[in-house]
Amino acid sequence: METTLAYLTIAIVLAALLINTIATQIARARRDSIVLRNIRAYAAMPQYIGESLETDRPVHFSFGSLTPGGVAAPLTLANAETFTLLATRTTYGTNTPLLTTSEVATLPIGYDILRRAYRTQGRLNQFQIGAVQWYPDGARSLAFAAALTAAMADRRTGANILLGGFGSELALILDAATRRGQRAIAASDQLDGQAIAYAMSDELLVGEEMFVGGAYLGGRAAQTGAVVSLDTLRVLLILTLGFLALDQLLQGALLAQLARMLNVGGGG
Amino acid sequence: MRRLLAILASVITIVVGIITIGDLTIGLPFSNGAVAAVFLRLAVITLAFLIMAGVLNLLIVHIGRIAGRERGFPYSIILLISAFAVVGLWLAGRTDINTILLNSVQVAIESSLAALVLFALVYGAYRLLHRRLSWAGGLFILTVCIMLVTALPLTEIGALTDVRNWLMTVPVSAGAHGILLGIALATIVTGVRILVGQDRSYRE
Repeated sequence: METTLAYLTIAIVLAALLINTIATQIARARRDSIVLRNIRAYAAMPQYIGESLETDRPVHFSFGSLTPGGVAAPLTLANAETFTLLATRTTYGTNTPLLTTSEVATLPIGYDILRRAYRTQGRLNQFQIGAVQWYPDGARSLAFAAALTAAMADRRTGANILLGGFGSELALILDAATRRGQRAIAASDQLDGQAIAYAMSDELLVGEEMFVGGAYLGGRAAQTGAVVSLDTLRVLLILTLGFLALDQLLQGALLAQLARMLNVGGGG
Repeated sequence: MRRLLAILASVITIVVGIITIGDLTIGLPFSNGAVAAVFLRLAVITLAFLIMAGVLNLLIVHIGRIAGRERGFPYSIILLISAFAVVGLWLAGRTDINTILLNSVQVAIESSLAALVLFALVYGAYRLLHRRLSWAGGLFILTVCIMLVTALPLTEIGALTDVRNWLMTVPVSAGAHGILLGIALATIVTGVRILVGQDRSYRE
C-alpha cells in the first residue's frame, strides 16, 4: 500500500477507535440521557414479530448474498446481531423462524443465530436444523429470488426481515410478500436493491442504519456507543467534505493556508 | 468452559485482526505482508470448504420436506433429482448435456424472471403512492417516469434526455456516494468494535 494511504488508513482506524472508546464510556455513564433518533423500521420489527406470533406464522430472516469473507464482513456480523435479537423474540412461538442465505459461508452464522436464540430462552430442543436454508444464487440472483418466494409461500411466513445483499431481484421477493399480505422490511448494501427496498418495503432502512440494529433492539451500552461513534464520524466527514468543497471554491487557498500553518508549527 | 472459549475467541480475533490490519497497511517488520496474506488465504480456503456444508444443508432441508410431506414437497423431489442428475452427468463426463440443461432451462427461466422485475417495480412504485404520499415519494415516482420515458428511442424527447443525464450525473451520483459513504463509515465502526472485542457475535 502507498505510504500516505497506509498512514491515512491507520489514522482513520485509530480515530474511529478513540471515538468509539469515548462514546462507549459516555454511553455507560449516561445511559438514560442518550436518546437515539427514531427509526421506524426498528420500531416496527418487534411489532411485526408479535403479529406473526399471534397469527401462528413463522418469521423469515434473510442475509441475501452477504458473506463474512470480504468487505461485507462487518455488515454480516451487524445483521447477525440484529437477527439474533429478533429471533430470540420469535422463540416463544410454535413455528421455528426461517433464515435464508445465498452465500454458503453465511450458513454457520445462520445456524449460530437460531441456536443462540433458542438457547437464550432455554428451548434449544425446539430448534430445527432445516430452519436455516441455503439457496445458490446463480449468475444473477434470480434463482435465489425464485426459491425465496417459494419458501415464503410454503412456510406461510408472517413477516420478512431482509437485511443484506440484494440486487434488483428484491422486487420479485417484495412483490410476492405484498401479494400474500406478508409484512416486509428490506435494506441492501447494493444501490439497485436499496432503491427497490425504498419503493416496496413496508418500512425503510437506508445505508448505515442497517448496522445499528443492536442498539435499537438490544440497547447495551457498547451498542449505543457504536451509534454515537457513527454519528460523530458522520459529522466529522461532513465537516471535512464541506472544508474541501470550500477549498475548491477558493481555488486551493484554504489547504495552502493550512499547509503553511503546519509548516510554521513544525518549524517552530 | 464456555466462558473460557469465548475469551479465547476474543483474543484470537483481536490478535489476528490487529496483525492483519498492521501488515496490510504499513507492513510489519518481520513479515512485510506475508502474514496477512497467509491469514487471508486461510479464510478463503475455509470458505471454499463450506460449499460441502451448503450441499449437506440442501439435502437435509429437502429430504426433510419430502419426508414430512410438507407443502410444495414435489418441488423438492424435482430439485433433488436435478441435483443428482447434474452430479451424475458430470461424473459420467457428459458436461455437454449439463451445458444444454443450463442454457435451455436455467438461463431461460432466469431471463423470464428478469423481465418480471420491471413489472414488479412499476407496481411497487404505484403502491408507494398509495402508502406513503410524501414529497419524497412523489419525487421518486417522477424520476422513475422520466427514466422510463427517456429510455424510449424517440427524437422528440431530446430535452428530457438532458434532464436524465443531469439526474444521473448530479443528484443520483451524489445520493449514491452519500449512501456508500454512510455504509463505509458504519463498516469502520463495526470493524473497530470487532477489533476491541465489543462485538459479541463470534464469542457466545
